[in-house]
Amino acid sequence: PLSVSPAAAPAVISPQDPTLLIGSSLVATCTVSPDFPLKAEDLYWTLNGRRLPAASYSTLGPSTLSVALARLNGSRQQSGDNLVCHSRDGGILAGSCLYVGLPPEKPVNITCWSKNMKDLTCKWAPGTEGETFLHTNYTLKYKLRWYGRDNTCQEYHTAGPYSCHIPKDLALFTPYEIWVEASNRLGVAVSDVVMLDILDVVTTDPPSDVHVSRVGDLEDQLSVRWSSPPALKDFLFQAKYQIQYRVEDSSEWKVVDDVGNQTSCRLAGLRPGTVYFVQVRCNPFGIYGSKKAGIWSDWSNPTAASTPRSERGAGGCDPKGGEQNTTLRRELKQFFGWVKKHAYGCSNLGIKLYDQWRVWLQKSHKTRNQV
Amino acid sequence: GDSWGIFTFLCAALCNLPALPALNCSEELGAGQSIQQTYDLTRYLEHQLRTLAGTYLNYLGPPFNEPDFNPPRLARAERVPSATVDLDLWRGLTDNARLAANYRAYSRLLCYLRVLDGQVGTAELRHRLAHFCASLQGLVLSIGGVMSSLGYPLPAGPAGPPAGPPGAPPAPNDFLKKMDDFWLLKELQTWLWRSAKDFNRLKKKVPPAVVTLRLEARGF
Repeated sequence: PLSVSPAAAPAVISPQDPTLLIGSSLVATCTVSPDFPLKAEDLYWTLNGRRLPAASYSTLGPSTLSVALARLNGSRQQSGDNLVCHSRDGGILAGSCLYVGLPPEKPVNITCWSKNMKDLTCKWAPGTEGETFLHTNYTLKYKLRWYGRDNTCQEYHTAGPYSCHIPKDLALFTPYEIWVEASNRLGVAVSDVVMLDILDVVTTDPPSDVHVSRVGDLEDQLSVRWSSPPALKDFLFQAKYQIQYRVEDSSEWKVVDDVGNQTSCRLAGLRPGTVYFVQVRCNPFGIYGSKKAGIWSDWSNPTAASTPRSERGAGGCDPKGGEQNTTLRRELKQFFGWVKKHAYGCSNLGIKLYDQWRVWLQKSHKTRNQV
Repeated sequence: GDSWGIFTFLCAALCNLPALPALNCSEELGAGQSIQQTYDLTRYLEHQLRTLAGTYLNYLGPPFNEPDFNPPRLARAERVPSATVDLDLWRGLTDNARLAANYRAYSRLLCYLRVLDGQVGTAELRHRLAHFCASLQGLVLSIGGVMSSLGYPLPAGPAGPPAGPPGAPPAPNDFLKKMDDFWLLKELQTWLWRSAKDFNRLKKKVPPAVVTLRLEARGF
C-alpha cells in the first residue's frame, strides 16, 4: 500500500460526497492525478469495503475509470457510504461519501408540560419509525399567537431523544404556537402547529413530607398525611390528589381517586399485619381559574407502613374513619369531649379509648367463636 | 460522571501521603505519588479509548473499522503531534522535555477531539466522546501537576483557539475528514502507549523520598 506522502491528492472522485434518494442510480468517476504513473486499468472500486464487480466499470480515458451503481439502498451508516478508488495493490487513492436516504416525515404527537409555570418541556415523535439513513436534525420552534417573532428552543434531549426544554421567558394568558421542524440532507418537514396556553399544561412537584402511620390499634387502617407542593403555594389553585397503595409483595396498585383538596386521608379496609407502600401525586387543578385539569405530578417516593396484626377485606379513602362513623360513635365523641372539659381527673377517657375497646371486643369475639 | 471519580480518586490518594500531614489536596504534594497516578490514568484512558475507537470507527463504516485498514497519510499540515520518536532521542530526553512533550501532545489532541465532538452524528457517540474528553482533560491537568511539583514551568500557550486547532486547514471533503479522524484516534492510541513508558521511566527517577526533601527545602 502507498505510504508516501504526496503534496496533492493522488486522484479525484466525482461526484464528491453526493446526497441521493433511495433507489436512485449513480455513475462515479475516478481520475488519477497527472503526477501519478497510474492508468485506468490499474484501478478498482470498493463500496463499504466490498470490491465492486469489474462488469460495472467503464474506462472513460487513459487515467479515468468510472463505476455504475444502480438502485442504491439506504446508507449503511449515517456518516455516509464509503466509495473508494484503489490502485491495483489495494492502496487508497481517493474516496467519496454517499448519503443515500429519504427526506424526513412530519414529526407528530407534540406534547408539552410546564413545571410550576416556570418552563416548558415538549416532546414529539419522528414521522417514520425513527429509522433514518441520514442524520435528522430536529428544531422546536414557538411563538406567541398574536406576536410576530419565532423563537427556537435550545436545550434538547432533556426528556428523551425527541424533546426540548424552554427554561425561561414564558408568557402566561396568551396561547403559544408550537411546532417541530425536521431536516436532513434531502429536505425539511414541518409538523402541524400545536396551540396551547401554559396554564393548561401545568404540572408540579409531587407532594412533600408524605407520612403514613397507624390509626391507634385499628388493624385495617392507615393514615396518610402530606404537604401540598411548596412551589405553587402563591398561586390560586385547588389541588387534586391521588393516592396509590399496594401490599409489599404485590405489583398491583390500588388507587384512591376522589381525594379532593385535603392533605390527609385515611385508608380503610386494609389487611392487618401487612406492610403497605403508599404514594401520593398532585394535580394543580384550576390554576388561576383555568377550567382545565393540569397534568399529574410524578408520584412521591413510596412511603412504607404496616397495619397492626389481625384480619378483614375491601378498600377506599375515609376522611373520618369509615364504618366507624356511626351516630353512636359521634355521640360518644361529643360526650367524651364534654367530659374532658367538665370532669377533672377523667383525662384518659376519649374516643381513642372507645376504639381500643372495640378492638378488644372484636378479639374476644374471635376467641369465643374459636373455642 | 466517571471523570469526577478520577478527580476525587486522585485527590484522595494525593492527600494520603503520610510524611506531610500539614498539606491538603494541592499540586504541591509528592511528585512520586502524582507520577504513579498519571501513569494509572494513561492506562485507564487507553482502556477507554479502545471502546471509543471501536464505536467511532463503526460509525465511520467499513473499511475504517476493518482491523487491517492502513490508509495513506496524506501530507496535509501535520496537525496531530506524532508520538513516534527515535529511540535514542527518546531515551535522552530530560525529565522536563519528556513531561513537556506529553503535556503539549495531549493538549493538542484534546482540542482536536473537542472539535470532533461538535460534529459527530449520533447521541451515543457524542456522549462517549464527551466522557473521554473529560478524562483526557484530567490527564493534562495531572501532567501539569507533576511538572509543577517538580518545579518545571508549564509549556506556553493554550491548547488551540476555540474555533479549531491551529495550523490545520479543515479537510476538503468528507472522506478525507474520515481519514483525519482515523489518524487522530491512531495517534491518540500511540501516545497513550508511549506515555505509559514515559511515566514508568519518570517513576524510577523520581522516588517519593527525594521529593519530600525538595519540598522541605522549600520551607513546607
